[in-house]
Amino acid sequence: MSETFDYILLILPALLQGTKIIVVMFFMTLIFAIPLGLPLALGSDSKVLPVRWACRAYVFIFRGTPLMLQLFFIYFMLPIYFGLRIDALPAAIITFVLNYAAYLSEIYRGGIGSIERGQYEASICLGLNKFQTMFDIIIPQAIKRVLPSVTNEMITLVKDTALVSVLGVADLMKNSRAAVNRDGSVMAYLVAAIIYLILNAVLTKLSYRFEDKLSRHEVRCNR
Amino acid sequence: MTDNSPIIEVKHINKQFGDFTALSDVSLTVNRGETIAIIGPSGSGKSTLLRSINYLEQINSGEIIINGKTLVSTPQDKAIYVSDKEIRRICSDLGMIFQHFNLFPHMTCLRNITYAPIKVKKIAKARAEAEAKCLLAMVDLSGKEDSYPAMLSGGQKQRVAIARGLAMHPAVMLFDEPTSALDPEITGEVLAVMKKLAEDQMTMLVVTHEMGFAKEVADRVIFMADGRIVEQGTPRQIFDTPQSDRLKSFLRSVLRS
Repeated sequence: MSETFDYILLILPALLQGTKIIVVMFFMTLIFAIPLGLPLALGSDSKVLPVRWACRAYVFIFRGTPLMLQLFFIYFMLPIYFGLRIDALPAAIITFVLNYAAYLSEIYRGGIGSIERGQYEASICLGLNKFQTMFDIIIPQAIKRVLPSVTNEMITLVKDTALVSVLGVADLMKNSRAAVNRDGSVMAYLVAAIIYLILNAVLTKLSYRFEDKLSRHEVRCNR
Repeated sequence: MTDNSPIIEVKHINKQFGDFTALSDVSLTVNRGETIAIIGPSGSGKSTLLRSINYLEQINSGEIIINGKTLVSTPQDKAIYVSDKEIRRICSDLGMIFQHFNLFPHMTCLRNITYAPIKVKKIAKARAEAEAKCLLAMVDLSGKEDSYPAMLSGGQKQRVAIARGLAMHPAVMLFDEPTSALDPEITGEVLAVMKKLAEDQMTMLVVTHEMGFAKEVADRVIFMADGRIVEQGTPRQIFDTPQSDRLKSFLRSVLRS
């Protein structure tokens, strides 16, 4: 028993090092993809047709091809065709941001579309302009509706980061596989699985808490 | 200070939804201080008329003038609206009350009322809030400032909606079936507020199924059917001496129940 424990302690530093990569990728994607999804969502329903076509084509391309292919494309093709050399980790982050923005934009679009017509009509009748209507009336209500779907995407994101190992980035996946291959024990995979689960448990908990906060106006008076 | 010019002039408007004719050559003049009830069977175009006046529906032809300013005219055969900015300015003279309230659920009652005055009319927050409290008192909802709409009953929501509309100081209040979504026993509290407004000489255009309200409060009753104004007159004329068969049969069916 204590041997197992000692072994875990031995491989843990490398695994935690790999976990750092996940955390960095997660937050970078979160910070950039979440806002980037919004103009894409609004653009996809724009009345200006070229804008709408461009946004929909973007979403089609990024949803229609494998994330791994996109990773290869950005990492290997950009240097070849455009002479842009990027390190593996930034290349991966850029790819993830572009990809997740596409998915998130469709979730936002659904959320915005689900707000009743009456909210727009009340806004018009009170003289609000389109910007005020969208940002002060529609989007604050849509956020609550899209939160479960966005959480879903974020959990997928934590797991998708394992793909960067194909570019040679020493993430949790790559480091655990290295330990397994080196030591002939699958214990590293088990520890990695537990780390992924812990990360997602924290994420789930935070999202529920956020959802509660956003729902406070729905609480009835019998509280 | 007497201004006898009409506050709303609707001239020969037509509105199609695809093949369906919702409004057919409707003309209407609303004078200052007047309370007009619009009655009629469902699908008769009464809501469409109201919604055309404040640009929630676009008409196909005709002319609408609000407070002396032209919203839409038909120089040739197609209706031409003024610019978006102009439309917003003209429609700011109109307050609208909806059947389903359409309060902003993520804002407290106070913010529902103060949001537009602060953001659109650029009124100082403290002043807007002080006025909102007066309006809440007027609709008998003092103390509900910090409640969210979900915590209120339907009648309370509608009264907040009325306060929200009044906060913009409209020249006319439009009511689109304001009590149709309410339980019968609480329609009274909303009608009481509307009656109070009528007594304060607020100009009101009310689409309603409440014949009691039309009879008691309205200065003029308009009966619509099949997209046309069939008959209009004082409540007495409409309810006691209806002329057309269409109105007679309508009154028979609503008064029987």
